This record gives sequence, structure tokens and C-alpha cells, in this order.
Amino acid sequence: MKLAHLMALPLALLTVAPALAHHSFSAEFDGKKPVRLVGKISKIEWTNPHSYFYLEVAGRDGKTATWACESGGPGALSRRGWKKGDVKIGDTLIVDGYLAKDGAHLIDARRLKLPDGRQIYGGTPGDGGPGDNANG
Amino acid sequence: MNLLVDFCQWLNDLPPSQTLAESEWAFPIVESVHVLALGLVAGTVALVDLRVLGLALGDIRLTAVARRLLPLTWGGFAVMALTGGALFASEAVKLSHNPLFLLKLVLLLLAGLNAWVFHATVYRRVAVWEQAPVAPAQARVAAITSLATWTAIIIAGRFIAYVH
Repeated sequence: MKLAHLMALPLALLTVAPALAHHSFSAEFDGKKPVRLVGKISKIEWTNPHSYFYLEVAGRDGKTATWACESGGPGALSRRGWKKGDVKIGDTLIVDGYLAKDGAHLIDARRLKLPDGRQIYGGTPGDGGPGDNANG
Repeated sequence: MNLLVDFCQWLNDLPPSQTLAESEWAFPIVESVHVLALGLVAGTVALVDLRVLGLALGDIRLTAVARRLLPLTWGGFAVMALTGGALFASEAVKLSHNPLFLLKLVLLLLAGLNAWVFHATVYRRVAVWEQAPVAPAQARVAAITSLATWTAIIIAGRFIAYVH
């Protein structure tokens, strides 16, 4: 009986995990808090499993703050026509996304407007967030 | 501590680490192989643990089960460590301050230590007790610890992706 209890605990934990695993968007970001950021790129992380674009954004109070925009990895972005060299440090990005639940200067970038005018979907495939159609 | 940070930065900046980090296909493929190898390790370890507890393979002697499965465990472990090392190198700086990743490392150490103590002590006398209906308490505790630790390793590993 004791053993059965011990083994039931991890099983109970595992049944909770998939709810998060299939929806990484809602695990970290708030779908009710959309935001648009406009700023110059100060840092680019073209990396797996997520890419990050850091923007210098002027707030309503006039102060500039660094915001991290999380998006899909290199594979997902490349398949949408966005190659590594398409944006450079100093370029201006317009990013529509959703705020992090923990209040960090971090958003999930759902749509990015590149300097050349292209609009690219930024979500991670299959994350269950707004606009996700899991087509990579 | 500073040395460790420097090491992570150095590892992260190596050309192969960068190539993997920026790859379109290599990263998810290495990740998949890592999970397959983990399945082999945790699966074979669990079978030995369940045999010790008398919950599986009861008609085969424990020593026979262990002898046949241990090479698979080690093979899987080698692939798991190799792919895990490569994945770590590709995001070493971020992972070095991810609490769930650090927890996973500690748990891996614990799993290794538990297995080592088991083999160095009670398993040395396995010939005496493997025919008994119930394994000695120390062996059963080691088996339960092993099952719990590997379960926790997998949960911690999965949750690395959900903390910063």
C-alpha cells in the first residue's frame, strides 16, 4: 500500500505536466494582455529552442527599457521566409505580442514587422497561443 | 563560481555550440535522440528496480535481468550524456542559472550515487538473497529511491523549458 502511494505521486504530477507542455504559450504568457512594442534592436539571439530579439523601447514615462521578444526557433522562422541576416542590430522592429505573466520585460512575439515591411508570424509552432496553427 | 560562469560562456561560444544553437534541424534531432536514450536508460533501470521489488520479471533471476539490461543502460547513458552535453553547450549560459536544470544535475548525481551504493553493498551479496521471496529492505529502498529519482529527473528536465 505504501509503495502504491509512492508510485501514485509521480503519476499524479505527470498528469498535470501535459496540460502545460502542450500549451507553452499559456504557461508563461497572458493572452489577455496584448502589447505592441516599437524599438531598435540591441541584441539578437537566433537560437534554439526560441529566438530572442531585444528591443530598446521608450516607455510612456520617457524612460527607455530593454524588452525581450521571444519567438520561434531558427527552423520555424526560416520556414516562414525569415533568414538570420534579415535584421541587424539598430534596425527598428514593430512587434505585436503578449506580456509575460510574471511581469518581466518579456513578451511572446506573435507578429513582427521587419524593416523591409514584411510581417512575419513569430509564434512557436504548436504552443497553443493566439494565431497558432501549428504549421511550423 | 566565476570560473564556472567563464567556462559556460567559453563553451557556449565554441563554433560547434553556436552551429547547434542556430541550426534548423540539428537541434530538434539531437533533442529527440537525447529523449530516446533517456527512455532506454530510465526504462532498463526501472525494470531492474521493479524486479528487485518483485513487481516484474519475477520468473527470471535478478542477476540474469541485471546482466542483460546493464549493457543497454550504459549504452543509453553514453548517448544520453553525449547529446545532453551538446545541448547544454548550445545554451550553457542560460542553463547555468536555470534552477530546474541545476536540480536535474543534482538528481542525476543522486541517481548515480544510489546505484553505486546499491552495487557496492547489498548487491554484492545478491547470491544469498536473490532466491528469497522478498529482497532485503536496503535493496528495496534503493529500488524505490531509483524509481523516484528518475521520475523526478524527467519532470525537472521537462520543466527547464518553463522557467527563466
